[in-house]
Amino acid sequence: MRIGLLTEGGYPYVNGDAGLWCDRLVRGLGQHEFDVYALSRGRRQEDEGRLEPPPHVSRVRTAPLWTAEEDGVAYGRRARRRFAERYGELAQVLCAGPSGRAATGPDGPDAVPGLMADRFGSALYGLAELARDEGGLVGALRSDTAVRALERACRAPGAHTAVRGARVSDLLDIATHLERALRPLSLDWYGDDGLGAADLCHATAAGPAALSGLLAGHFSDVPLLVTEYGARLRAHYLAAGPEAATPAVRTLLAALHGRLAAEVYGRAAIITPGNAHTRRWQERCGADRARIRTVHPGMEAARFTEVGEAPDRADPHTLVWVGRVEPAKDLVSLLHAFAEVRKEEPKARLRVVGAPAGPEGAAYLGHCKALAAQLFPDEAEGVHAVGDNPVCFEEIGGPEAPTLADAYASGTVVVLSSVVEGFPVGLAEAMFCGRATVSTDVGAVVEVIGGTGLVVPPRNPRALAEACVALLRDPERRERLGAAARARALELFTVEQNVAAFRGIYLEIVSHCPVRRVVLDESGEPLPFAVPAEAHVPGRWTGPTAQVAGRRGPGRVPGATAGTTPVRATPLKAPEGAR
Amino acid sequence: MGGQDPAGRRRSSPRRGAGDPVKALLHRHRALCERAVDPLEIAAGLEAHGVTDRTAAGLRHRDVFSLAEELYARVPRVDEHRPHPEPAPTPRVRADWALLALLPGTVAALTVTGVRLTQGRPRLLLAVAGALAVALALRLALRRGPLAAPSRALARRTATGTRAWTCWLLGYALLGDGLLRAVLDGGPHGLPTGTAHGTWPVATVPVLALALATAPAAWSTHLLTTGARRRLAGSRGLEEFTAAVQPLLLGTFALSLGALTGLLALCGTVLGEAAGYPQALTLGALLLLARLLAVHHAPRGAGPALAAAAVAEAAAVALVLAGRLPGCAFLATPVDALAEVAGPGGVPALACGAAALALLFRAARTLTRASAHAPTGDPE
Repeated sequence: MRIGLLTEGGYPYVNGDAGLWCDRLVRGLGQHEFDVYALSRGRRQEDEGRLEPPPHVSRVRTAPLWTAEEDGVAYGRRARRRFAERYGELAQVLCAGPSGRAATGPDGPDAVPGLMADRFGSALYGLAELARDEGGLVGALRSDTAVRALERACRAPGAHTAVRGARVSDLLDIATHLERALRPLSLDWYGDDGLGAADLCHATAAGPAALSGLLAGHFSDVPLLVTEYGARLRAHYLAAGPEAATPAVRTLLAALHGRLAAEVYGRAAIITPGNAHTRRWQERCGADRARIRTVHPGMEAARFTEVGEAPDRADPHTLVWVGRVEPAKDLVSLLHAFAEVRKEEPKARLRVVGAPAGPEGAAYLGHCKALAAQLFPDEAEGVHAVGDNPVCFEEIGGPEAPTLADAYASGTVVVLSSVVEGFPVGLAEAMFCGRATVSTDVGAVVEVIGGTGLVVPPRNPRALAEACVALLRDPERRERLGAAARARALELFTVEQNVAAFRGIYLEIVSHCPVRRVVLDESGEPLPFAVPAEAHVPGRWTGPTAQVAGRRGPGRVPGATAGTTPVRATPLKAPEGAR
Repeated sequence: MGGQDPAGRRRSSPRRGAGDPVKALLHRHRALCERAVDPLEIAAGLEAHGVTDRTAAGLRHRDVFSLAEELYARVPRVDEHRPHPEPAPTPRVRADWALLALLPGTVAALTVTGVRLTQGRPRLLLAVAGALAVALALRLALRRGPLAAPSRALARRTATGTRAWTCWLLGYALLGDGLLRAVLDGGPHGLPTGTAHGTWPVATVPVLALALATAPAAWSTHLLTTGARRRLAGSRGLEEFTAAVQPLLLGTFALSLGALTGLLALCGTVLGEAAGYPQALTLGALLLLARLLAVHHAPRGAGPALAAAAVAEAAAVALVLAGRLPGCAFLATPVDALAEVAGPGGVPALACGAAALALLFRAARTLTRASAHAPTGDPE
């Protein structure tokens, strides 16, 4: 099977997000052939280079999201009218009303809820068809025609109140943002030599990458699988804070991203959120519950095996916190909780292991160190010993904690005090290490821990302290919880389960949307069963001279057209062993 | 549900009891709720502040989304129609481009002085070196500041042709009138000597004035850019913006033409030669308009206009030469007539004037659109 892997700002770039996961996925599914289509987010990312793809990645195509060259195509009268119509339609839909409510709520402003989504989709695909037929979409999206269409839509009677007062600078701003968001429309990826030849598009995020998948689905009926480890729409809201732009611009952008997410979720064959929190956002944006499969992210378990299997040799009074130091982790609350713990257990110690994240994190770390020095004076064994502080701050790689696993092993209870958290990677790592954990109820914590650790409300130092004390005083319970946590993590959060889940999902999708390509043999006859969903044979499956007639070749009704000339017969691409 | 009027608050309070917990939450996140554009934004913001479904359940809501919807409904939107939104950061006057804009004029003035002071072969060498230096200085001056073209492939692709035509037009301004006169008189009988006299006179004044006019052109374009940015921030609609920018465009255009006229008069007086106002002014207008169009992402018409003017000039000389062929005397008639009425300067004045007029119409249409003044530069 040929998978078109669509990424945005991630794989195969070295510093991309989710790059590691994509790499493991591609390497883990060697029986399929992968084409990687990557959108890059900035010049720095492109300069830092790419990972070396494994041999069954037959092609890597990239396109920049951060810059676009006009191709110099000037539209004629007819093309301009076509563009104005479609862009105007798009602008009208975006100006019409709040997207979130229209997508899901029954009492949205549009009487027929699906109507607006339909109009959005047809306008979007209309623009994509225009870009495919004529080119020059980048220039058109920046042109005066586009700005005028936006102004008309904003001043139209049914428009959202916030956009009615849009000024000229707002209109230009919106046009620029729309141009950037619709950049995948101008790419030349959708032909029969590109995504059109794929059997399945796997988008690693909703957003521009999934937009490419939508277009492949529109032009060539390629099914789309969308994987998200954090809802893209939520990231948009958090990134576009109130200071970023005027209300008119933010309203329109929210509508655009909401509609786009709804369209992606609506058209995707399967959606795989990484946790229940992301799944809730997806359902909220209009994803059909029947097509959602939660696939937890996988982590490499091997590096924690030694610590996880060995008996607990840590000092029985040590609490440990591991993570990147930033305000969202609420270390202040942890320090206050530890003060409470010290009242009950005077021998308790706290190790904070982690590097600060950025300048903000560094400032926060300094603040926490000052607070720790204030709360806990240095103490010594006796009158003649040199004292030290019960709270120590370390970084991974230091003498006390050379590796991540050692950091977890150095404490008997692992504490997580975040107020905001997506998928708590640190907690899962602690589970792999077989530690008893106390964590705050944020993000996907409850879902990850699932009863194998204690959970307290966020911003509640007293509750955190009570839970810690309870565990410090009960070694047997610690052991039980630790063992259960490790068993759960091995069951749910390993790389193997992640890859296996995607393998099953690929097959499930292909069983619904079967591969329609037909391979021709030497005499030009269709070769039945030449394109299996997956195959585990060494060497080539179909022989070197076999030919593929494209999706729209004679393969639509194989029996009826046997013997006729194929419409578009292309020789098979080189590494065919995985087919 | 209007939470802001006292009557509404009294009515709603018994339902939730004295300590309405949602109200406390609302108070804490009022800024978020007031500025949110839809409930999902509130939901995202609340989650970022640690509100979970469990918190929402404590507030008698199914999840954070429904809590966010209540908050969105209860808080009146802040009407953020600021009377004067701060304009986009305008390009400031910077020493680099202000000095670079003076460079072509300085180099040209030095070259003219040198040519005047030398004789024979060194003069020729100096003239050639000076011309190259002026071209280089012009390139440097146009790379920075308000006259710099946006760095796009399209602009780069069209630039080569434009550059060639510009060189041709400037060369004609320097040598063309003398050549045409010589050709009309049955010549040319020798190569130019580098002076304004002789059989093939060289017109240094227009070229020197045009080189010096780079600086006023840069300044007037800077005025246009800053003025347009200010009007962009202040306008409510596209029509309003167009109406506001039109006088600005024509005003700055007239300003730089005025500066060019002054420079022509000055150079003419200093060098003691004829200034040749019509051909120099039309050529200056043509070059400035072509540059303005290129700077504001509408370079399409500029190249053809420059090319048309250059071809017309070349054709005039070629027609006169062709008229010498037996039986083809009629070919030279129009040029002869024009030269009789307006002198040999009439040809470039007519050619550049017509092209400049066409570009002026185009500029008045395209440069007054808001999209021509959109802030450039993709965020990286």
